[in-house]
Amino acid sequence: MEELRKPIGRRSLLKAGGFVAATGTLGWLGALVTGVGTGSNQRKRARWVKTVVRPTLGETNADYKRFSGFDMFALYRPLKTQHEGTGSFEAEQVSKAKRLIAWTNEKKPGFSLPDQKLSEGAWTVMRSSRPGTGLLSWTRTPGRTSTEPSAQRYTASPEEMANTVKAAARLYGARLVGIAPMNESYVNLQVPRQDEKEKDKDIVFEDVDVPEVTDTKFVIPRKMKWVVAIAIPMDIELLARTPTPLGDAASALGYSHSAFVVSSLAVFIRGLGYEAIPCVNDTAQSIPFALDAGIGELSRLNKLVTPEFGPAVRLCKVFTDLPMAYDKPVDFGLVEFCKTCKKCAEVCPSRALSFDDEPSFKTKGPWNNPGHKTWFEDSYKCFEYWQKSGSACGVCLASCPYTKGDQAWIHEGVKAIASIAPATDGVFRIMDNAFGYGKQHDPEQWWTKDQPSDRRG
Amino acid sequence: MTNGDDVVMITIRKRPWWFWALAELWLLLEVLLVQTALASARESEYRAAAISWIAAAILAAAGVFGWLRRRDSRKPIEANERS
Repeated sequence: MEELRKPIGRRSLLKAGGFVAATGTLGWLGALVTGVGTGSNQRKRARWVKTVVRPTLGETNADYKRFSGFDMFALYRPLKTQHEGTGSFEAEQVSKAKRLIAWTNEKKPGFSLPDQKLSEGAWTVMRSSRPGTGLLSWTRTPGRTSTEPSAQRYTASPEEMANTVKAAARLYGARLVGIAPMNESYVNLQVPRQDEKEKDKDIVFEDVDVPEVTDTKFVIPRKMKWVVAIAIPMDIELLARTPTPLGDAASALGYSHSAFVVSSLAVFIRGLGYEAIPCVNDTAQSIPFALDAGIGELSRLNKLVTPEFGPAVRLCKVFTDLPMAYDKPVDFGLVEFCKTCKKCAEVCPSRALSFDDEPSFKTKGPWNNPGHKTWFEDSYKCFEYWQKSGSACGVCLASCPYTKGDQAWIHEGVKAIASIAPATDGVFRIMDNAFGYGKQHDPEQWWTKDQPSDRRG
Repeated sequence: MTNGDDVVMITIRKRPWWFWALAELWLLLEVLLVQTALASARESEYRAAAISWIAAAILAAAGVFGWLRRRDSRKPIEANERS
């Protein structure tokens, strides 16, 4: 019988080796791209998204302080007046209104009446949500008894608590959820007034049991040491129509969804017997919390970019005293990619984004919070363009190579390779342009598409 | 027609190991390009879809051409090689 057994030749060995190597490579690529389950309710993350000790960008120095809370929405009017004289802001608004009416009458694509009203409708929930009131109330929900003194408090390990809260957040509509430690320096100093009749209110930390909103201040209890950071993806079919009111509906919907998610989650947490403060863009800087919670990395846009949805997300957060296990920041090679890419800066219609090769501590104006390293943007130029274009702009978000639909497998492969081989970043940037990604889509075509969009969610 | 004196020799050659590796790579790229083309069209990225279709077609043509060329270039085994 021994004589019948053929010896294994070199060729057979090579063939078998080649097959094993090819299969192994395919398997490795598959695992790298698709990732593995984490065993929690967190969205499955690809293996190329690595956890790190500190965020890859955003390091702070001694100049870092709590931000005033006066962002570009609050600052534009005084800055416009300062730059171009008294009445310039009002004249600009009149001119914008006239232009919008003319474009509506002309049925300019993206500016027709249905386009504008679609955006208005999408803003509804967000516009009826103000810090400390209504959906964004800081106090316990009236009529709910589980937080009454006699009610039992739900307890579990920090890991189980984190899982429970993430599951609830995902049910309400969050796509990425992470837990970060409270950092008081990320919380704004004030909540700016929303109209002339009101006053700016201070945000203070005090040793109290429950959050409080008075005529002069917002009080955050010091025992609130946990922040649930949440990302809501924007509809990229709408975003691809920016800068138009139709494109603005993507932001509007993102904000309204955010208000719904954080308010629902706050009620859920209060129901478990803890305190919760729901916030959208208000009260604190969302980006540093999202960085600490591992939602994404800081980018050339000076905004968060997530591995899954790019920068096309809206961020929101819930402060709580419910003890949960913290998440870690992530690194997927974005900062190196941003150094090479610069596509957002090139396509920005107002030239508001930085072309610098390296991030720095140099701010561009009072809308930037100094003391942290990033690529600072010129928000004044950005807002001025919004007035000219008659709509909020999001060209930078739409054009980022990380803003892609999730159906083509190749995009996951490209992101995986970019995360481990920065030398390929330049090639991917060239290919992104060659394939025509990031260009504005026909606004009129949107109305004939099957709704809702199946590109996200 | 052959008579009893003719000898007909059929040679069966094994394909080299690298052929299979190349074929596997070719198939992988084809699948990837076609999937990208279909997905890009669904995502309204028509330029990406068109480029992917063109690349898939070129790759398919190159594969067929390469296969035919290899078939035709096989030399018959000469009589002196048979020993």
